[in-house]
Amino acid sequence: MNRKKAITVAVKKIKENHIIAANGYISRDLFSVGDKTSNFYMIGSMGLASSIGLGLAIKNPKKQIFVFDGDGNILMNLGSLTTIGTIKPKNLVHLIFDNGSHESTGGQPTCTKSINIAEIAKAVNIKVFQTADESQFEQILDKIKKISGPIMIVIKITNSKDVSSRVLWKPLEIKKRFMKTIVND
Amino acid sequence: MKESYQNKMFDYLNKMGIENFVGVPDSTMKQFIAHGLKKKKILISTREEEAIGIAVGMALSNSNSLVFMQNAGFANSLSTIASLVQMYKIPLIFLIGWRGYIKNDAPEHEKIGKIQPELIKSLGLKSMIIDDGNWKKACQWALQQSKKSILCALIIKRETDE
Repeated sequence: MNRKKAITVAVKKIKENHIIAANGYISRDLFSVGDKTSNFYMIGSMGLASSIGLGLAIKNPKKQIFVFDGDGNILMNLGSLTTIGTIKPKNLVHLIFDNGSHESTGGQPTCTKSINIAEIAKAVNIKVFQTADESQFEQILDKIKKISGPIMIVIKITNSKDVSSRVLWKPLEIKKRFMKTIVND
Repeated sequence: MKESYQNKMFDYLNKMGIENFVGVPDSTMKQFIAHGLKKKKILISTREEEAIGIAVGMALSNSNSLVFMQNAGFANSLSTIASLVQMYKIPLIFLIGWRGYIKNDAPEHEKIGKIQPELIKSLGLKSMIIDDGNWKKACQWALQQSKKSILCALIIKRETDE
């Protein structure tokens, strides 16, 4: 399963829920396969999707907040896992699309080929699921609807040459339409 | 800044609608943070950029935040300020401790303390230096900036070498 496929599977199950997407190919793939107003494309500030997600989860306890993160991204802000594990937001679901590389910048390796992020997350009180299989990933996404968080799903993905276009919304449009969905529902 | 004024400043900002106080501690604002902790209104993060990220998530939920940090952490956060807070026009108030303001502060603060005004200027970040006399006026100014979706900073000088 490559990232675009994995993101396609995820958005079908997540439906209208809010998603904070990390910069680079993750935002681009999400924009390409499942653009909607309740997506926040974090097009810069690498590493901070999990923290923005935490802020949203704290302030919107009745809404399930999804973070679409990459291995390179979370490695830049591993401390955020300790904060999430301390605050324990029940409504935060953190998806890590893990290809063991910085694919957006040319496929340079990250250390998740030898270090397992799932084990780090377990150590800080986060409930963790791991998969590399499409149907198992679908089952996990169904299962977590009934589990209280914080939850992390590590999806091992393969690299691909299929590159999505850049997010066409301007930053202020991304913010404006996203905030409307937060306030109105 | 005197301890009693730091308490008053916290209470005033909280009363005026700042709901969240997120950041990394600095001794310059020790009392401000201690007072907020007593009121269970403080969230301490691992790094300043993480604090900014959390505060942005809260701001996207229409909940106003102040992010506190030392100027060393402010220097860490330049890229995040430019490519997240300013780019998306997220209204936050920063409270920054100015280490390296006096000449005999610890040596690690000397360089950042010296270039801090230039860093603030280069970012186009609106700021005010606060003290015992002007804190209320400065807070009112910051709240106005926030209403206009403009990021701004309140700066507290470190005036002792203790």
